[in-house]
Amino acid sequence: MNSIFRKTRLKEGISSRLGKFHIGSQTLLLLGIFVILVAFFGIFEESFLTIRSITSMGFQLPEIGVLSLAMMVTILIGGINLSVNATANLAAVMAGSFLVKFLPQAADSNLITLYIVGAILIAILVGLITGVINGFLVGYIGAPPILATLATLTFFTGISAGFTGGRTVTGFPDQFQLIGSKTLLGIPIPFLIFVAVTIIVYIVLDHTTFGFKARMLGSNETASKFSGIDNKDVIMKVYILSGIVASISGILIMSRTMSAAYEYGTSTYVLLTILVAVLAGVESGFGNVINVFITVLILQILSTGPHMLLAGVRGSSFFKDFSWGILLIMIFVINYYARGKKARE
Amino acid sequence: MAEEILHVEHVSKHFAGVVALEDVSLTVYKGETLCLVGENGSGKSTMIKLISGVYTPDQGDIYINSHHYKKLTPIESMREGVQVIYQDFSLFPNLTVSENLALNEQLSSGKQLVNWKGFNQIAAKGLAEINVSIPLDAVVGTLSTADRQLIAITKAILAKASIIIMDEPTTALTQKEVHSLFTIINSLKNKGISTLFVSHKLNEVVEIADRTVIFRNGKKVMDQDAKGLDVKTMEYQMTGRIVDTSKIQHGKVDEKAEALLKVEKLSLKHGFFDVCFELKPNEVLGITGLLGSGRTELALAMFGELPANSGKIYINGKEVKIKSIKDAVNYGIGYVPEDRIREGLFLDQSITNNIVVRIIDQLINIMRLLNIKYKNSISEKWISQLGVKTASSQLPAKSLSGGNQQRLVLAKWLAGNSKILILNGPTVGVDVGSKAEIHELIRSLAKEGMGILLISDDIPELMQTCNRILLMRHGKIAAEFKREKISEDQLNKELAFNSSMKMPLKE
Amino acid sequence: MLNKIVKSNEFITFLILVVLSLAIGLKTPAFFSLATVFDVLRSSVVYSIMAFGLLLIVISGGIDISFAAIAAVAAYATHNFLISRGYDGGILPYYLIACSIGLLAGLLNGFIISQFNLPVFNVSLATMTMWYGFSLFFLGPLIKMNLPKGARDYSTNFITQVQDPFVGRAGLHVSILYVIIIGLFIWWLLKYTTLGRGIFAMGGNREVAVRSGFNIKGITLIIFGILGVLSAIAGITQSLFLRIFNPALFIGQSLDVLAAVILGGAAITGGRGSVIGTFMGVILIQLINRSMILTGIPVEWQKFVVGIILIFFISIPGIRDLRKQKSSHTTELAEE
Repeated sequence: MNSIFRKTRLKEGISSRLGKFHIGSQTLLLLGIFVILVAFFGIFEESFLTIRSITSMGFQLPEIGVLSLAMMVTILIGGINLSVNATANLAAVMAGSFLVKFLPQAADSNLITLYIVGAILIAILVGLITGVINGFLVGYIGAPPILATLATLTFFTGISAGFTGGRTVTGFPDQFQLIGSKTLLGIPIPFLIFVAVTIIVYIVLDHTTFGFKARMLGSNETASKFSGIDNKDVIMKVYILSGIVASISGILIMSRTMSAAYEYGTSTYVLLTILVAVLAGVESGFGNVINVFITVLILQILSTGPHMLLAGVRGSSFFKDFSWGILLIMIFVINYYARGKKARE
Repeated sequence: MAEEILHVEHVSKHFAGVVALEDVSLTVYKGETLCLVGENGSGKSTMIKLISGVYTPDQGDIYINSHHYKKLTPIESMREGVQVIYQDFSLFPNLTVSENLALNEQLSSGKQLVNWKGFNQIAAKGLAEINVSIPLDAVVGTLSTADRQLIAITKAILAKASIIIMDEPTTALTQKEVHSLFTIINSLKNKGISTLFVSHKLNEVVEIADRTVIFRNGKKVMDQDAKGLDVKTMEYQMTGRIVDTSKIQHGKVDEKAEALLKVEKLSLKHGFFDVCFELKPNEVLGITGLLGSGRTELALAMFGELPANSGKIYINGKEVKIKSIKDAVNYGIGYVPEDRIREGLFLDQSITNNIVVRIIDQLINIMRLLNIKYKNSISEKWISQLGVKTASSQLPAKSLSGGNQQRLVLAKWLAGNSKILILNGPTVGVDVGSKAEIHELIRSLAKEGMGILLISDDIPELMQTCNRILLMRHGKIAAEFKREKISEDQLNKELAFNSSMKMPLKE
Repeated sequence: MLNKIVKSNEFITFLILVVLSLAIGLKTPAFFSLATVFDVLRSSVVYSIMAFGLLLIVISGGIDISFAAIAAVAAYATHNFLISRGYDGGILPYYLIACSIGLLAGLLNGFIISQFNLPVFNVSLATMTMWYGFSLFFLGPLIKMNLPKGARDYSTNFITQVQDPFVGRAGLHVSILYVIIIGLFIWWLLKYTTLGRGIFAMGGNREVAVRSGFNIKGITLIIFGILGVLSAIAGITQSLFLRIFNPALFIGQSLDVLAAVILGGAAITGGRGSVIGTFMGVILIQLINRSMILTGIPVEWQKFVVGIILIFFISIPGIRDLRKQKSSHTTELAEE
C-alpha cells in the first residue's frame, strides 16, 4: 500500500517530570490552538461559553468525531477508508428500515427498547460486513485502498439508495431520540458515546497486541510480513473496526435527525474526517487518538464560533469550511518551519 | 606520463566528531580502471561523495582536468565529466530506453520541444559506443538489472564523462553479466574514459583493476599497480590484521543428534531443484553460490516467503508444511534479511518495538492487554545481551549504526526463541569492528544449541563461522565442504567455477 | 507496436467500452444512433475537460481533489460579476474571467505544494475545503441564474443537428470542440514538450527527476495552473448548460473525475496515463449511467451497479498478481 499521507506531524515532544507520560508536540500544538480559540470566541462572542451553546455543540460534533475515528484507524496502517460515511448511512438505513418495518404498532415501552437494541445490533452488523468487504479488497486482493474504498463507497451508497428507493426512512419511535438528543447529567449523550468510543479505540490501538501490529504494519509493510505478522489478517481487522465504528456514527446520525437517508453528508463528511486525521498528525504507523479528539473539538469551535460571531450574515454557517481549509494550510506551514532546516534535507 | 584527470590533495572530512577521511590524496589517470577497496566505514563512500561534489572537504583541494576546486558542487563536478552511477541508476522506470538516454542532453540544451527521432538517434549512438543492443522503445522498468546498468553507463558516456564512478556495481549481477560489464569497462579505456570502481569483492578487483587503492579507517593505506597484488595482501591491508583463524573456537556438532531441520528433495519452480540437506543443533551451515545459483530462493523457501512446490521439510523429526512466513515463524524459524532496511526493521519505530514485534502476542497481562512494563524489560534485556549501543530504547531504529541495526534484527528473533536462524548476508553494510563481533555472536548462538543457515558470498565470513558449507550452482547443490577440510583459496576457486568445465572437487 | 497497444491499460478500457456498447445496443437498438453519440458526447464535455487537467497531476504522481471546487468558484464568481454589471453579450468574457480566477486558484495550489514540499492530496484537501466554504459563505448555496440572452443561447449552440426517429432533434454541441482542442493540446504537451516528459519523469521517480535537473517547482506550478484554467472552463461550461449553481454538486465530482482518469488507464501512483485513455474513461462512466437508464434499472440502483463495476475493475490487477508467482527469480538455470 502506498500511503498518500507523508509525514505531517511534529516529532519532538516533551516528557513530564514524572518521566512516564509523554505529551507529543503535535498534541501540544493542538491543545494550544484549542485554548486560543476558546479564549478568542469566549471573549468576542458572549453567548459562546454558555451552557446552552456548549451543549448544543456537544450534540453536533460526535457524529463527525466517531466517523473520524473510523477513518483514523485505516490511515494508521497506511491506507484510507473513503466509504466511512456510506457505511454509516447504510447501517442507519438498514437499522432504520428494520425498526420501521418490524416494530408492532401497539408495542409497549419494553418491547420498543428491545427493538431499538435490535436495530443497533443490525447497524453494527452492517458495519462489520462492510468492513469485511473492504478488508478483503485491500488485504487479500491487494487493491489500493483509495480505489477500493472509492468503489465500495459507491457500492454501499448504491445499496442504500436502491433499498430505500431514494426515500428517507422516517417514523422511528420517540424513545429512539434518547441516544441522539438527550442529556445525562447535563452532558449530551452523543458526546458521551463519542468519548466512550474514543476510549475504546484508544485501548485497542495503544493497549492491545492488535493495535501494536497495526502500527508496525503501517510503519513498514514488508518488514511486518517478514517479522511474522499476518498482514492480511491485521488489515481485515482494521477495516472491520473502521466499519463498526462508522456504523456507530450512523446510529448517532439516525438518532439525532430521527431519519436515515442514503445521501446524508455524502462527500463533505468523508473529506472532513480526512481533514481531522491530517490535522491530528495521523499517518502510517503513528497516530494519537487524543489528537483526533482535540482536533474534532477545534473544528467544532471553528464551526460554531464564527457562525455565532457572524450571526445574521448570510451563509455564515459555511464560513467554517473556509476557516478549516485555512487552518489546515497554516498547520502545514507551521510544521514545515518547526521541523527546521535539518529535517527538511 | 599519463594525463591526470582527477587529483585529490590532502583532503579530510569529518562528521560530528567522527573522522571519515584523514589527509587522503588520490590521483586518477586518463583511461585507467582504478579500484577503490575498503571495508564499510573505511571512507570510500565519503571519498566518492567528495569527488562528485555532494560533500565539501574540511581541508584539502580537488583538481579536475587541472581546474582547482576548494568547494566543488555537484553541477560543477558533472560538468567536469565526473559521472556517478547510483544504485537506482538514475533512470526513470516508466520511460523508454531512448528517452532515458536522451533526456540529459535535452535538459542541458534547454530545448522545450521534444524530437523523438532525435532522441532515438542519440540513444542509438550511445548504445553503439559500447556495442550493446537493447531495444530503444523498451520500457526501462521491464529490463533486468544488468541491462539497466548498461543503460546507466551509456548515459554516463553520452554525458561526456571523463570518469565514471561505480559503487558496488556487481552486487546484483550474475557471473555472465559481470563479465559483460568488465568487457565494457575495458572498452571504456580505449575511449579514454577512466573508471573508478568501488568494490569489496576482491577477486573481481584482481580481474579488472589497473591500479588498486585501499582505504582503512579513513586513511589511504595502499595505492599501487594492481599487477601482482593478490587477495590475501588486499585483505590484510583492508582489515589491518590477519585474522588468526586458528584462534577461533568453532563449536562442535554432534553428528548423532537429531537434525533440527531436514530437507528432502525440495524443489521450487524456476528456483532450485532436489535440494537435500540437514541442519543439526550447534551447527552453522553455510550456503553459498553466485547470484543466480538459487541460494536466495532456497533461503526464502525455508522462511515461507517462496514456498517450495515439492519435497519434504522436517523440523525436529516431524514433517511440517511451510506455506507462509507465519508457518515458518511458528515453527521457530527466524530470518535476518540482506536488505534489513526494507525487510528487517521498522526504522521509525522505537528500538523496543522492533525487538518485541515478533513476540508481541505473548506480552499480555491478565486482561489480555499489552503489558508495557514487560515489553520494556524484554527490550532492555536483549539490548544489553546483544550489545546494541544506544542511549535509549525509545529512540527510533534509524538512529542506530549499521552494525547495531543488524544486532537489533537478531534481537527480534532471539527474543522469539527461534531455534533455527536463516541469515542472509548478515554483515553486508556493516563496519569491520561490528563484523567480527557479529561473527562471534553467530558462533556463540550456535554453541547454545541453535541451528544457523548462513547465506553468504563472503568467503572469509563463511570460513570463520561455518562448520559446513554447501555450494549451489544453477539451482542445485553442487558440492558440500567441511570447513576444516578446505582452504579459503580452494573455496574461492570453487565459487568462481564455471559449470562448462569439468566436475568440481568432491569433498 | 500492435503488441504494445494490446497490452496497455487503455486497451482494457477500450474493450470494456465496446462490450458495454454492444450490450446496450442489443437491448435497445435505438442506442446505435447518431443522436446517442451526440448526447453522450455532450454530457462528457465537462468531465473530460477537468479530467484532462487532472491527468497531468496524476501522471506527476499526485492526487488532487480541489479542482471541482475551483471550477465552482470560478464559475459562480464570474456570473456574479457579469450579471451585476448587466452584461449581455457573447460568452467570451465569461471564459476569460473564469480562466483568470481558475489560474490564480490553481497557482495557489501549486505554490503551496512546491514551496513547502507538501503532499498534493493534503494541500488539495485544504484548499478544496477552503474554496467550498468560500463559495458557500460569500456566494450562497443554491442559485438559479437568470442569464442574459447571450449566455442562454449558448446551450443550444450546435455545430450540426440530426433528425432522430426516437429522440427528435439532437445536436452536436459546439463545446465538443473545446474537448478536442484541449485534448489535443494536453496530448501534445505530454508527448512533445520537455515539460510533458518532466511530468512523466516526476511520476516515475521523483528523486531522479530532481537529480536530472528537471525544474520540479516550475513544473508543479504550471500543471496546477493548467488544471485551474481547465477547471474554470469546465465550470463555466457546465453553468451555461445547467443554469443552476450548486456548489455541493462539485464535491462528488472530484471523485468521479478521478475515477474516470483511473478507469482510463492512468496509474494512481503516477508515471503513466494518456489523453485518449482518460477520454475513454469519461465516456465509459457516461455509458454506464446511460446503460442503466436504457436497461430499465431504476435510478436508485445505478450507484450500486457502478460500485460493482468499479470493485470488479480494481480487483483485476490484484487477482492477476495473486496468480503470478511472487518475486523475480534470478536463478540461472544450467544451459542444456
